[in-house]
Amino acid sequence: MAEFLNNYGFLIVTVVQQALLGMSLYYPLSAGQLSLASPGFYALGGYIAAIIGTAELFAPWRDLLGKAVFPLEWIIAGVASALLSLVIGLPALRLRGIYLALATIAFVQIVRVISLNLSITGGAIGIFGIPQLFESRWGYIWIFGPLLAATLLFTWRLEQGRIGRAFRAIREDELAAEAMGINPTRYKAQAFIIGGTLAGVVGAMSAPFLNTWNARQGTFDASIAYLAYVLIGGTRSLWGALLGAALLATLPEILRPLNDSRLIINGMVLVIVSIYLPQGIVGALARLRGAGKKKGVPAGGKT
Amino acid sequence: MTGLLDVKGVSRCFGGLKAVNDVSFRVEKGEIFGLIGPNGAGKTTLFNLISGLTPVSGGILSYDGVPLNSLPPHKVARLGIGRTFQNIRLFKGLSALENVKIARHSRTRAGLWGSVFGFPASHREEQEVKQRAGEILALVGLDNRADELASSFSYGDQRRLEIARALALEPRLLLLDEPAAGMNSAEKHGLTQFIREIRDRFNLTILLIEHHVPLVMGLCDRIAVLNFGELIALGPPAEVQKDPSVIEAYLGGD
Repeated sequence: MAEFLNNYGFLIVTVVQQALLGMSLYYPLSAGQLSLASPGFYALGGYIAAIIGTAELFAPWRDLLGKAVFPLEWIIAGVASALLSLVIGLPALRLRGIYLALATIAFVQIVRVISLNLSITGGAIGIFGIPQLFESRWGYIWIFGPLLAATLLFTWRLEQGRIGRAFRAIREDELAAEAMGINPTRYKAQAFIIGGTLAGVVGAMSAPFLNTWNARQGTFDASIAYLAYVLIGGTRSLWGALLGAALLATLPEILRPLNDSRLIINGMVLVIVSIYLPQGIVGALARLRGAGKKKGVPAGGKT
Repeated sequence: MTGLLDVKGVSRCFGGLKAVNDVSFRVEKGEIFGLIGPNGAGKTTLFNLISGLTPVSGGILSYDGVPLNSLPPHKVARLGIGRTFQNIRLFKGLSALENVKIARHSRTRAGLWGSVFGFPASHREEQEVKQRAGEILALVGLDNRADELASSFSYGDQRRLEIARALALEPRLLLLDEPAAGMNSAEKHGLTQFIREIRDRFNLTILLIEHHVPLVMGLCDRIAVLNFGELIALGPPAEVQKDPSVIEAYLGGD
């Protein structure tokens, strides 16, 4: 067991962490908004944790709080990301479809360029030697695991109720939603803020986990990777991001013996899934289950 | 009877085109008011002006004394103006029940945390939403298909579902944009009955656009006729039918 965790612990925690980042993109998507801003908030959260964890300025905090400084980092990162998502979201969400995607990519780039040029973020080198919360990589499952469980529960409850319905209504037909008394600006912003806050908190948890934090953490590539989790897993289900992350984050490891050609297979999986499973894996599973049920009904029966 | 909707000198231009030009009329409480006119007369534009989807270029729109001119559509809906769309805008990927539940939005108040933690008030509210949506579906006769996707419904059923959705908003003024379009004659007859029934049951005032002349004549208390954005006739069906300018607009003059 110890050896298994030694070999695969990091991978398992990474899957959970990536699933959380996929979730952060799922919220705006569930309200019909294609936002790729998550890596920007993820980077911000990570820098907040890295700076509080290493800068001279915060030494008294660390001495005073001991390990309790970590939850404080998560909270600060969450609040900062929520505020920033509000400031970015309100103007950006006036844009639709691909234009919103472009604006949010621009936001990710701005965060990256700023962090490359500030001295407090360590410039191009970044921040390293970030203090650890756990002794092993595997230990981080005790923060990412509960966060994922809480996020899934939160999402499930959200989707059952009034706010989740408002999100879906806007996704289906924004104009009709508005004519039914739903304020689209408000709910699009809410979805965007929930996603941004989650990405910020995950960033703050990831800075110690990865030990170093630099401008490579929040890039356009990451935007696309998170989007791929949700698209492959399924955009219509809260389980989509988890399934997509599990598949895409482990695939390179499973295919490691193939060396460089593994990237080809990785790409092929993306293409095949998007052609043959347009609703993602969750959508395909739901269809299979639906088909299974129908077989039990005599011909001409109502289902 | 007192006025519920007051349209005073309302205009809307699209570039050089005056889609609605200085139109005035008043819809009384409890009335079924028909809006007719040839294609492109500006009927749907007028609906969009009332429901806030299109801003007015001039004039005053007021509902029960409240000016509507600068209100966004969701606030207009909240005031109690429900509508359907000419080209049916259901939430097609969602079930019939969900479509109706969504329209309960402005009549409920659960916030993010209330929903997520299931506070007693939110929980109770959710039960009410479910019950109420079920009742309304039953009213339009679609309760046995509550879980089917809106997109799987026939055209006529989609129209009925859209009316159900608008009713769930608890409107006092209901705008119906060509409710009989695509229905067969039996369905059209049923629709006339149904519109009267909901008017009585929910104390509604109904403003409707319709092309099918017998339906309008049999159903409406008063009719306004639009042609090229202008109001050319207004009155009870029997009068409007004989009005020379209406005959000219429909059949062509000279």
